[in-house]
Amino acid sequence: MSDLVTVEVKGLAYAFGRHRVLDGLDLALPTGSTTVLLGANGASKTTLLRLLAGLLKPAAGTISVLGLDPARQRDRLCARLGFVPDTPDAWPWMTTEELGRFLAAHHPRWDDALATELRTSLGVPANRRLRDMSRGEATKAMLATTLGHAPEVLLLDEPFGGLDPIAHEEILGCVVRALEVGTRTVLVSTHDLDVAARLGDHVAVLAGGCIARIVPMEEAATGTAPRREALKGMFADVVRGERT
Amino acid sequence: MRLRVDTDRALSPSQQIVEAVLDAVASGELRAEARLPSVREAAAAALVNPNTVARAWRDLEALGVVEGRAGSGVFVTEGGPEVARRERRKATLAALRVAAEEALRAGHASETVLEETRRAIERDGEGTRREAKTGGPEGKGGRR
Repeated sequence: MSDLVTVEVKGLAYAFGRHRVLDGLDLALPTGSTTVLLGANGASKTTLLRLLAGLLKPAAGTISVLGLDPARQRDRLCARLGFVPDTPDAWPWMTTEELGRFLAAHHPRWDDALATELRTSLGVPANRRLRDMSRGEATKAMLATTLGHAPEVLLLDEPFGGLDPIAHEEILGCVVRALEVGTRTVLVSTHDLDVAARLGDHVAVLAGGCIARIVPMEEAATGTAPRREALKGMFADVVRGERT
Repeated sequence: MRLRVDTDRALSPSQQIVEAVLDAVASGELRAEARLPSVREAAAAALVNPNTVARAWRDLEALGVVEGRAGSGVFVTEGGPEVARRERRKATLAALRVAAEEALRAGHASETVLEETRRAIERDGEGTRREAKTGGPEGKGGRR
């Protein structure tokens, strides 16, 4: 594995009013690897991802993504970073095709053939408006359009929440195909330990406002316990440690 | 070949993929010189990180079942089927031992366990004939 780091966070803090939700958070994501982000409800996983995408401004600390400061150099970062939020944030009145055309105009690296192929293989209706789509369809539409500009960094915020089993498997397949080992750096936040066990090169647990633990998957799942069980044990360990 | 990974199994995901390929090679579904799917294809089928498949391919190469050829992919070796059969025999014998130990722990008499095993062998007459054709069970290969 490469020693290069694509995402580096140091001493990050963020607060909603007086409530500090992230405090002294450090995180380094090695280039070309996939990290799964676990955390209890309300642990502020979404806030962390939004900070990395430059959608929020840190109260303290530094963030470097591809050598850029997300909050200050968001325009430059946008072309190289893909972010799929937990609820679709594209314009609800746009169809997938319109969204594709809009993004193509704004992304120099937009690959229309790839976006169309992803949309077709996932069965995303091209002419339906996002607001009229089911949760599964909307997630697929967001994923297909996000991957269309071949981002070097991919941030996925709980893409598997509220999906039926078929949509779940289709989206998991799409995410697996999107993992480009060695080149694309991926951070996936999820509550689904099966997904975590399948996707992660590394597992990180967000608790108490910082990354309480980050280990290679092999280290998280040593011993004879099934991988999912091992992850659950590690997660419970960290969360309990924080609450006592 | 069915590349399925179950994260609730004690076997690690990459070992489960090794197991599936060994099964396919041992059964003749994948013959010597057959090409394995690419890492990307296999990862998409098993729904796992491509690194997990790459690790499985490395382990299979270390066993001598497959070999990577620069630029053209990963292929089953000439001796692959024999190695795969030997590995499968080792694994199934280990499973049989575990089952026997469990049966004894559950309170069955050793005679009952032996009798049940003998009956299973007799019932599967076809299986034993098949084994005889491929050279019979290897006592040495199965014990460690």
